[in-house]
Amino acid sequence: MSRIVSVWLKAWPIARLLRAQACAPADAVDPGRPLVLVAPGKGGACIFALNRAAQRGGLVIGELLSNARSKVLDLQTRDADPAADAAALRKLALWCLRYTPIVASWDEISGADGLFLNITGCAHLFGGEKQMLADLAARLRSFGLVPRLAIADTAGAAWALARYGDSDHAIIPVGAQSEALKRLPLAALRLSEATQLLMRRLGFRRIGELIDQPRAPFAARFDGELLARLDQALGHAPEPLAPIVSPPVYRSQALFAEPIFSQEHVLEAATRLLKPLAKDLVRKAVGARLLRLLLFRVDGGVLSLDLGLAAPSRDVRHIVQLIGLRLYRLGGEFEADFGFEAAAVHVLVAERLAERQSLLGMGEECIAPDGLARLIDRLQQRLGPGAVHQLIPYQSHIPERAVRSAPPSPRASPTFQRTPSVRGEDRGERQEQAQAQVSSRGLSPGSRVRQAPSDIVLAKLDRAEIADGWIPGIKPGMTVAWEAPRAPSAPRPLLLLPQPEAIEVVALIPEGPPRQFRWRGVLHQVAATQGPERIAPEWWHRTGEVERDYYLAEDREGRRFWLYRAGLYGRGDAAPQWFMHGVFG
Amino acid sequence: LAARLAEIRQSVAKLERAHPGVPTYLTLGVPQMHRHLPGPGLACGVLHEVAAAAHGDRPAALGFLFALTAVAQHVRPGPAVFVAARRALADFGKLYGHGLRQLGLDVGRLILVETRTHKDALWAIEETLRSDVAAGMVAGAVEHSLDLTTSRRLNLAAGVHATPLMLLRGTKAAGISAAATRWRIAAAPAARDRFGDFAQWRWHVVLERARNGRPGEWLIEWNHVAHRFRLVEGVADRAPVASTGLRAG
Repeated sequence: MSRIVSVWLKAWPIARLLRAQACAPADAVDPGRPLVLVAPGKGGACIFALNRAAQRGGLVIGELLSNARSKVLDLQTRDADPAADAAALRKLALWCLRYTPIVASWDEISGADGLFLNITGCAHLFGGEKQMLADLAARLRSFGLVPRLAIADTAGAAWALARYGDSDHAIIPVGAQSEALKRLPLAALRLSEATQLLMRRLGFRRIGELIDQPRAPFAARFDGELLARLDQALGHAPEPLAPIVSPPVYRSQALFAEPIFSQEHVLEAATRLLKPLAKDLVRKAVGARLLRLLLFRVDGGVLSLDLGLAAPSRDVRHIVQLIGLRLYRLGGEFEADFGFEAAAVHVLVAERLAERQSLLGMGEECIAPDGLARLIDRLQQRLGPGAVHQLIPYQSHIPERAVRSAPPSPRASPTFQRTPSVRGEDRGERQEQAQAQVSSRGLSPGSRVRQAPSDIVLAKLDRAEIADGWIPGIKPGMTVAWEAPRAPSAPRPLLLLPQPEAIEVVALIPEGPPRQFRWRGVLHQVAATQGPERIAPEWWHRTGEVERDYYLAEDREGRRFWLYRAGLYGRGDAAPQWFMHGVFG
Repeated sequence: LAARLAEIRQSVAKLERAHPGVPTYLTLGVPQMHRHLPGPGLACGVLHEVAAAAHGDRPAALGFLFALTAVAQHVRPGPAVFVAARRALADFGKLYGHGLRQLGLDVGRLILVETRTHKDALWAIEETLRSDVAAGMVAGAVEHSLDLTTSRRLNLAAGVHATPLMLLRGTKAAGISAAATRWRIAAAPAARDRFGDFAQWRWHVVLERARNGRPGEWLIEWNHVAHRFRLVEGVADRAPVASTGLRAG
């Protein structure tokens, strides 16, 4: 059975506004006086959210602003900003990753002002559920929020207790959600307005009145919604959470006694986090392909760095080096503010990596067989994604489509194990499937979590999600076949212009080769040409392209250009145009 | 015992490190050119510079550089790495795979690195040279001035795995550098076959500086199948320039 924390942030839009204005004191509102956020609604501006002082004044959500102004004299109003609210909630959810890897923010039906934390198997790391809840509440309060928390076996029950329960930190023991829900109103089941109204008319007020009723009449009348919600709350039906980040396959986390600030300390912490992780990876005979380093700031921010590796690795030194290069690339964006109080390393994708014998006599600094993969990793971390690439041929007669660039495959390394090839088309699909699996299953009930020595904590899923071959951006097993029989035999330029450039051409006869042309203001006298090579547009792409007649033209200085005439004479109205498309070496 | 073990480790390391059959010179295939150089071809493990005679000759200089890369790929294992700052080739577009293939390169063993700044490009070159990868060739395109210290660093880095290193410099490249050679390349009319089609690319090559060698000047022709150059003797061998313009029409 899983354990879910539900966090309801009361008056979240107001809290967010007050927190945002702490940074910009100009035009500040007084939190002690009535304050409402307004959004356009039926009949004019309506109240979207309000603070306690406004509530005392008798205002309610959804009321027209004009009515509210007549009720409360010194009413302060601001425009509601749901997008900013959602963004801030997501930031807070990221911060909550310090408690558990599976965090989901509430959807629209649940109110979009709270979070679900799946803390299955994590609570003991914080000294038990009670202490964890107290810690979470204290930290949220220090951010200026008013949290109401509940722990239950199901997301539905936890939501109900956080919203409608008596206590603001309820802990429902395992399997007792039915008892706890009995006294709550029906609205605690997250039902639609219409269903709630109908239930009220039928005389149902509390959930307890519903639990022991025969199901058939309700199923016939209520479209499945009512019973589905009830089953979800009671744990008879699953309620999948949509985690804000895909949960890791392996993870390792540390809480620091003192906040850390400098990059060196971050690297040191990463080393300490990676060491137990590497041992686990060795035991499972896998290597990390996609890692995420999360640094939790004291003030609730999170710095998240993703590291993609060209080949699976579990070499702590190598990964720490990559983190260092990544931090270097961050440069000024690396902001510790008040320091980082916790850090976590998540392995998001792991791939099979067999044990390898090191060469005799090489010791530590042996020539690694996957040296090329490491080099690619280092270059990519420092230079950014897409900086390192390879050219691959593509079956097309249109020159600009005949070559594509792809992430490099470290195939030149002699012992690189290539996974079975995956065709490009179904890669995305498999990726989606795999992600769907991860998100729907969540932490399996039997997942083991153990306390490592020191404060380093290692939690991991029981069944490692081993994905072969669907790493984002990297296509294993891709054969780079440049010598295909269909490769063009006519001359092709060394450098191709990204966009063909219009040129002025003089030719002796209209369909003839160019005699002179002006490109970028310079006149070139053509000494020799070869061509034309006619390339027709691909009729299966309706792009409105026309035939091109390519010529290789050499000017008097021996420089060679690739230019083409677009279109044919005697067809249509427009005269053919000349373009420069590339230069030869 | 420890000392003995260390000794054995060292000798084993030496045996494992030595790559038998990997040449330390990239042969150009032109004895006349080799006579101007200290060895039979371009020495591996040091920096060589290539510069264009004029801005419009930059593609030609790049072609010469890639011809040498093809030579290196032919005789050395390991991938070739080409590092360029984004601006270095911006005037002429992007490298085109089929064009590279027609120069004789194994494009599947060519890794391209594109950097935002020249500083990053130099870092990437050095990182590649010093990494565990014994690259077949490291080439780069760097516009901005290469001072003595930087070129020395690159020289030292190239020596780690005795990797051939070639840099395409700006047209104004001059002054002191630690490079072993500097080549100045200009385009030259290509060789034609008897049907008048372009057969082989030619370059006008000037060896401006050569450490332990002497300068020279040649007109050479690139054979992309045999991966070697050939000296073009005299004007008589050149393509008939004047009367070919109308052929294709």
